[in-house]
Amino acid sequence: MGQFLVRRLLWLIPVMFTVALITFVLMHAAPGGPWDRDPGRRQIDPATQINLNRQFGLDKEVWFDLDALKKGDLLGFFDTQFITYMIAGTVDGEWRCGFICGNLGPSYAQRGMMVQDIVLAPPEDAPIWNSKAGYSIRLGVLALLIAVLVGLPVGIIAALKQNTWIDYLSLFVATVGITIPNFVMGIFLIIIFAVWFHLIPVIPKDWSDPRYWILPAVVLGVNLMATTARLTRSSMLDVMRQDYIRTARAKGLAERVVIFGHMLKNALIPVVTILGPALVGLITGSFIIETMFAFPGWGRQYVTAISQRDYSMIMATTLVFALLIQLANISVDFVYTMLDPRIKLS
Amino acid sequence: MKKFLLLTVLVVAVLVVACAAPTPEKVTVKETVVVAGTPQVVEKVVTAPAPTAAPKPKVLRVNGGAFPDIIDPQKSSFVGEIAHLHLMYEGLTRFNEKLETVPGAAEKWEYNKDATQLTFTLRKSLKYSDGSLLNAMRFKFSIMRNINPKTAGEYATITNEIKGAEAWQSADLAKTSKDDLAKLEKAVDASIEALDATGKACKTGKDGYAQEDCLTLRLTFGAPAPYFHTVMGIWVAYPAKEENITAGKDIWWTSAKYHVGNGAFVLKNLEPYVRARFEPNPNYWGEKAKVAVEYSYITDSAVSYQAYKNNEFDIVGLAAEDLEATMKDATLSKQATIYPGACTFAVMFHQEKEPFTDKKVREAFAYGLDRESWVKDVLRGLGSPTLTWIPKGYPGYKEGEKRYSFDAAAAKKALSESKYGSVDKLPPITLTFSDTARNRTRNEWLQKKWKESLGVDMKLNPVDATTYTAMTKDSKTAPQTYILGWCADYPDPQNWLSVYWKTGAFSERIKYSNKELDKILVQADTTIDSKTRMELYAKAQDMLVADAAVAFAWNNVNSYMVKPWVKGIKTTPQDHWFPGDTTANTVDIDLALLPK
Repeated sequence: MGQFLVRRLLWLIPVMFTVALITFVLMHAAPGGPWDRDPGRRQIDPATQINLNRQFGLDKEVWFDLDALKKGDLLGFFDTQFITYMIAGTVDGEWRCGFICGNLGPSYAQRGMMVQDIVLAPPEDAPIWNSKAGYSIRLGVLALLIAVLVGLPVGIIAALKQNTWIDYLSLFVATVGITIPNFVMGIFLIIIFAVWFHLIPVIPKDWSDPRYWILPAVVLGVNLMATTARLTRSSMLDVMRQDYIRTARAKGLAERVVIFGHMLKNALIPVVTILGPALVGLITGSFIIETMFAFPGWGRQYVTAISQRDYSMIMATTLVFALLIQLANISVDFVYTMLDPRIKLS
Repeated sequence: MKKFLLLTVLVVAVLVVACAAPTPEKVTVKETVVVAGTPQVVEKVVTAPAPTAAPKPKVLRVNGGAFPDIIDPQKSSFVGEIAHLHLMYEGLTRFNEKLETVPGAAEKWEYNKDATQLTFTLRKSLKYSDGSLLNAMRFKFSIMRNINPKTAGEYATITNEIKGAEAWQSADLAKTSKDDLAKLEKAVDASIEALDATGKACKTGKDGYAQEDCLTLRLTFGAPAPYFHTVMGIWVAYPAKEENITAGKDIWWTSAKYHVGNGAFVLKNLEPYVRARFEPNPNYWGEKAKVAVEYSYITDSAVSYQAYKNNEFDIVGLAAEDLEATMKDATLSKQATIYPGACTFAVMFHQEKEPFTDKKVREAFAYGLDRESWVKDVLRGLGSPTLTWIPKGYPGYKEGEKRYSFDAAAAKKALSESKYGSVDKLPPITLTFSDTARNRTRNEWLQKKWKESLGVDMKLNPVDATTYTAMTKDSKTAPQTYILGWCADYPDPQNWLSVYWKTGAFSERIKYSNKELDKILVQADTTIDSKTRMELYAKAQDMLVADAAVAFAWNNVNSYMVKPWVKGIKTTPQDHWFPGDTTANTVDIDLALLPK
C-alpha cells in the first residue's frame, strides 16, 4: 500500500506540470491582458502599463528567452514567465521562488495581494477555516454529506420498491434535481424559506450560524444528490439480480444483512467513483452559490479570474483543482479496497 | 463499511463544530471578595451577561454590487471602489447636489491671472477620523503619490496638468536612472507646494504632517487649467495617510485600521465579499452623517430584490427585469427611484474603416437609429435617448438637440448621397460586441432595425469581454462599428470633450480627428472666464454632433428601490452606489416609519 501511495504521489508531478503547461498556453492564447478593463472608462496609459508589466514580470518572455541565450546568458534563457511561475525566476529584478515553494503568484486584479493571501488567508483575527478556501471546503463537504445522506437512501429505497409509487416519486425528484439549474433552485428556495416563511433571512448576516449554511449547501448539493440517487438505484437493481444475493437469501440471512452487507457494499463502487471528483467540483464550483448568497468562498475568484485575465489566479486555481482531483482519486482507490476485498492496491 | 460510516459521522461532527455559533464570550472581571476576613480584589473569569437592549442604531443597509478589487485612492478607478473611498475621504473640493464644485477640505481656492497656478486654502483645525491633524502636506503626499510612476494607478494621468507631472508619471522605471528619477520627482515637488502661514514651505516628514499652520497648497501647471479645482474633488487626491500605507504595505487598503480618512464616515469593518460597515465620523468638519452605512455585495439582482422585499435592505439597484413588476405594484412603484446617470453611450464608427470613412454613411446610420424604440424595447425604459454627448445634469448639457434624430427617409437619402450610392454597394459591415446575453439582444436589435431603416445586412461578431476591451483600445484592432460609452470622472465639459474628443485622446481608437475642434477645445481649456469657456465647449459639442463621428444613442439612468423610511436623499447623476451618496451625510432614517 505504501509503495502504491508513493507511486501515485510521484505521478502527481508530471500531471501537475502538464496541467500547468496547457493552462499557460490557453491563458496566453486568449487576446487581451490583465490591464484591459471596462472599455467605457479611462484606461491605463501605455507608460504606466510598461511599469506595471515590469512589476508583475509580464515584460519577460513567456516560455524561453532566446535573446538571453544568444548573449550566452543561460540563466536568462530560463528566466521567463512560465518558469518563474512554476519554479523560480526574477520579477522586477528580484529573485522569487514559484509554485514549488507554495507561492501562487501576485493577483493582477487585486493589486498588492498574493493569490495565496486571497484564497488561504482568513480575515483579521479570524481562524484559518474562515479563509475563502476554508469556507468553500466546509460548504463543499456539507453539500456532499447532504447529497450522500439523502441520495443514497432514496436510491436504495427506490430500487427495493421498484415500479411502485415510491420509485416513481424518487425518480421524479431525482430528475427534477438534475434538470433544474441551481440558480433557479436557489431563488426558488429563497422565496419559500426566507420570503414566505421567514425561517431564515435572504442575506445571511453571520456565517457562524449553522442555519444559514443549509440553503446554499442544499442548492449546491442537490444535483449530486439526484445523481447519487439515480446511480445507487440502477447499481442496486443490477446487484439485486446477482447470484450471490440469491445465495445470501437462500442461506436464510436477514433482509437487513442482505441489503446492507451484500447489496449495498457492491452497489456503492460506482457511486464512490463519482463522489471523489464530485467533492472537488463542489468545493471549487460554488460560483453561483457565492453570487446568490454572498458566500465568501473562492469559486467566484475562479470564474472572474478568467475574464479579468488574472493569470496567477487562473494558474493557482487550476493547479489546486488538479491537485485536489488527483488526491480525491487516490482516496477513492483506498475506499474501493474497503468496499471490495478482491481489489488490491498494487 | 462501518469505518466508512464512522468517518462520515466524524466529518459531520467536525463540520458542525466548525460551523457552530460562537459560545458566549468569557470576560475577566475584578471583584472585591472577603478572604479570611480581609477584603481583597481578585480577578475572576466569568461568562459575560447578555447585553442590555441598546437603542436601535440607524443603519442604512445598501446592496452595492461586486466587491471592489482595490480600495486605494491613488489606484482605484471603478465605481464600486470609489463608492467606498467617497464615504471615508474628502478631497480639497467636493460636489454638491447640483454637481457644482464647492469647498471640501479647502475652504477656498484661487487661480492666478493666467490660470497656471491654483492655490487652495485649507480649513483650520481639520482632523482625520482618529483626531490627528490634516494639513496641506497630506494632500501634497497624495497628489505626488498619484503621479509617482511606482504607484502605477489607472488615473495617474489625470494630474498631468501639474508642471513636470507627465515626465515623471510616464518615466520608464527600468530605463531611467535613479538620479534622473529624483530630478523628475523634484520638478513635480516644486510644482506642488505646501506652504505655512508666512508663505514658506512647510516642514517635511513627520514634522510637516504635524504643522498646524501648513494650510496652503499651491499647484503650478504646465499650461492654464481653470477646471483643475474640480479635478481635485475626485478620489485621486484623497489624503490617505502615508504612515498607514507604509505600515500596511501593498495591502494596506484591505484593513479598516489603515483607512483613517477625513470624510463623513469611518470604515469600521471590512469583510471582503460579505459586508462593509461605515459609521459617522465625529471629526468631520461639516454636517455630520446621521446613519451608519452597511454595504453588501450581492451581484444577483433577483436575490437582492427579494432581500429588499423582505426588508433586509433599505436600498438596492432596480434591474430592468424587475421594472415591469415593480411598476405594476402599488406599493413598490412608489419606492422606485429613477433619475439620470453619468454615462453616454454611442454606436462608434471607425473613421478609417470602410464604409464609415464617408460622412454620409455615418449620417445614414445616425438617422437610421430609432433611439426612442431602443430605450423602450431594449432598455425597458431604464435609459433616455440622446442625440448629443454631455448628459443631462452635467455642465455643458445641450437641451433640445434634434440633429440626426430618427428619420428613415433621411437615412436612405444620406446613403444615396454617399460615394457608395446604394446599400448593395456597401462593403460588408460587422457589429462587434462583448458576448453576453444582454449585449447579444442589443446588437441583434440594432442589426434588425438598421435592416428595416436602411436595408443594410450587418454581421454580428460576438467576442469575449476582455478581448473586446483589448480590441477597442487600439485603433488598428478597433472594430468597424461597436457600442461604447463614457462616464463622467468629474462634472466639467473638459472631462467630456477635451479628454475624449481631442486628436490623440480616447477618440483615437476610432481615429476621429478634427483640427478645428481641437483648436476650440484648447481655447476652452485655457479660458479663465467661466461664461466664455462654457460657450466654447458648447460650440465644440455642436461641431462634434455635426461631424456625425458616432451615432449618439442613449444615457443611462440610476435606478434604485428605496424604502420609505430613508430620508434626506439628494440625488445627482454622479451617485456611485446609492441615490444621494454624493452627499451621503444628509441621508437619514425615520425610525418611526420602520416596520415593527
